[in-house]
Amino acid sequence: MTTKKLLAASAFGVLVMIPIAGCSTGGDSGTETISWWTWDDKQAVSYAACETAFEDANPAIDVEIKQYVWDDYWAKITAGFVGGNAPDTFMNHPSYYPEFADQGQLLPLEDRIDESGFDLDRYAIGLTTWGEYKDGSVYGLPKDWSTMAFFYDQDLLAEAGLTAEDVATMTWNPEDGGTFEDVIARLTVDTNGVRGDEAGFDADSVAVYGMSTLTGGGINGQDTWAQFAPTTGWELGDAENWPTTFQYEDDDYVATAEWIRSLVAKGYTPDFEEFTTGIAEQLGSGSVAMVQSGSWNLNTFAALDGVNVGSAPSVVGPIGERRALSGSNADVIWAGTEHEDAAWEWISYLGTEECQTLAGADGTFFPSIAEAMTATTEAFAEQGIDTSAFTVQFEDGTLYESPLFSGGTEVQSTVSSMSELFWTGERDSDVFAEMDEASAAIFAEHAD
Amino acid sequence: MTTERITAPAPAGRATLRPPRSSASSARRGDARLAWLLIAPSILGFIVFAAYPALRGVYLSFTDYRVLSDPEWIGLDNFVELGGDAKFWSSLGTTIYFVILTVALTMLVSVTTAVVLHRLTSSTAIRSVVILPFLISNVVAAVVFSWMLDRQLGIVNIAIEALGGDAVGFLTDKGWVVPTLALITVWKTAGYTTILVFAGLQTIPPQIYEAGKLDGAGEVQMFRRLTLPLLRPIMAMVLVLTVIGAFQVFDIVQVTTKGGPANASLVLQMYIYDKAFGQFDFGYASAMSLVLFAMLIVISFAQMRLLRASESDQG
Repeated sequence: MTTKKLLAASAFGVLVMIPIAGCSTGGDSGTETISWWTWDDKQAVSYAACETAFEDANPAIDVEIKQYVWDDYWAKITAGFVGGNAPDTFMNHPSYYPEFADQGQLLPLEDRIDESGFDLDRYAIGLTTWGEYKDGSVYGLPKDWSTMAFFYDQDLLAEAGLTAEDVATMTWNPEDGGTFEDVIARLTVDTNGVRGDEAGFDADSVAVYGMSTLTGGGINGQDTWAQFAPTTGWELGDAENWPTTFQYEDDDYVATAEWIRSLVAKGYTPDFEEFTTGIAEQLGSGSVAMVQSGSWNLNTFAALDGVNVGSAPSVVGPIGERRALSGSNADVIWAGTEHEDAAWEWISYLGTEECQTLAGADGTFFPSIAEAMTATTEAFAEQGIDTSAFTVQFEDGTLYESPLFSGGTEVQSTVSSMSELFWTGERDSDVFAEMDEASAAIFAEHAD
Repeated sequence: MTTERITAPAPAGRATLRPPRSSASSARRGDARLAWLLIAPSILGFIVFAAYPALRGVYLSFTDYRVLSDPEWIGLDNFVELGGDAKFWSSLGTTIYFVILTVALTMLVSVTTAVVLHRLTSSTAIRSVVILPFLISNVVAAVVFSWMLDRQLGIVNIAIEALGGDAVGFLTDKGWVVPTLALITVWKTAGYTTILVFAGLQTIPPQIYEAGKLDGAGEVQMFRRLTLPLLRPIMAMVLVLTVIGAFQVFDIVQVTTKGGPANASLVLQMYIYDKAFGQFDFGYASAMSLVLFAMLIVISFAQMRLLRASESDQG
């Protein structure tokens, strides 16, 4: 533990020093300075370990790591594209990928991959998104993956007379909610102490909700319905990537959405935007017994004060399997960089087992290479964090990725706000057909 | 107001005022040079930060411009699309609803406050307190209000529940969100307009009120028959400022609701921002800005004319 802390501390120290060091050595004719940006504060620290190793092996290249919070990050990158000073290399997210690639801002990597014999098969995950783009090029090397699971308050679970096994094996269907609905009904308690599955339960005066809200969630329902609707066999787009329309109108999706609204009426989950605090705060304050969140929050929940948090994988649905939304980020090179070679050296090093193992050693994210993943799982276990609720999806092959589509930000802004009409109760399921039409219109407009 | 000051160049004004005297021409030229020198910084600022961006905006509104590639001339396509864009019209409706609420309340609150201040107190300290909210940044005010009005943890809802009411989703309920935003804006700006109206009140000579009293008029009657008509020029200015300010509402919405829930608070500026900086569709966003610009010009001009803002009833 102490060495780990020391390492983290020194890594952070290095990170802080970099901008200063960058300034002082920038003038040296011998060294080339390249920048690498990330929005993830934890990964910024983790990857400093790779940076040190890389600079030792390549003394002529100086890497500058910078981290900005999500919103600022994309604003700065876009401004950088326009102003001609975007970072040489940066971490890219699937939702921004098509926009940037379509605008010619990402450097195609396939020639360098061929020349250097870089084997893409080393990646256990992420190639559905980051493999060949629609123009046949490869623009990014997938670096990590993440998915969703349930986090619950172990004490509240025990009080309800439920076991970890009950939660780990929950089944679900949109008609009666399966054992999942039984569990959350049991976990819900009203202000008189009556449980959701007992007579006399008052749905209008709930003290502890069994589950955080499943309403909302934007276009892909990442932290809400994405682990439910697809277990009926339903898919968001009509193709794995580059769909021509979304399919909310489908009966399976409609049934799921209506079941979610019924949970609000039954008092088992909060209403849309009823809670304005984050889910970690909801679980921490005891106002909900169970939430759904991503693997990137494993450390956050483990460190939650005064609550013993357990985790469980998503539900087994009508198709007899789980389905969990997974996302992979990738390292990319900006097309406008003046240091193409050095940039490739760096991001191809980021894509090695060696670097991913180094960076994964402090257990803050899941690397995309299987061997490095093993090391990371051990690192999590050393911290006393059980990752099996997430990794079981990886092992069972039940992860799925959100489709790539052009016009992403426009679809996001248009379709999300239409879906809110349903979640606020202002419109009924007839709005879904309109959402599909709106998505199809935007996709058609952006198709080449 | 600012525009007026900038667009009336000093040298030209002086030249027309002076009777043409040939002997003074060299001196005038000397003056002109100095004048140009002195106003050069503000002219430069105006050209760089206002005129050029505005003209560029006009140009971009006739193009398909997605920032990362060069703008492509598409004529009136953006405006044709605008005509059929339901989201644009609904956001315009939301904006007008917001403007009406904000302007009506601001006028009411600021005139009332100013008259009460004027009649009851001469304490500078109390007058200064009125303007305090105006000195707080919009973003800070919006953040603080969004905490206070939070449905779950906000002090306002805690108070409502303590009094036996049900919690209100001030910023998350479709019906509440625009009135709530209007109230925040009124709280923010009423102090400033109060001071303006107050200054207007001070220009009314007390003799008029004395005369009114002698004629047997009460406070209310004097307010309606004397104060309001004499305040008209300043009221017209305050009205124009408030209307323009309200049409341009953005930061408070961006911080508190981002246009939600379900676009209920999607004001025009928010939609323009989302199109430009969220979806990189700068051409379309410029077209919307141009339409807003045209509307504001028409509205301001109409207001100035209808209220005869440049004339005073004081003899």
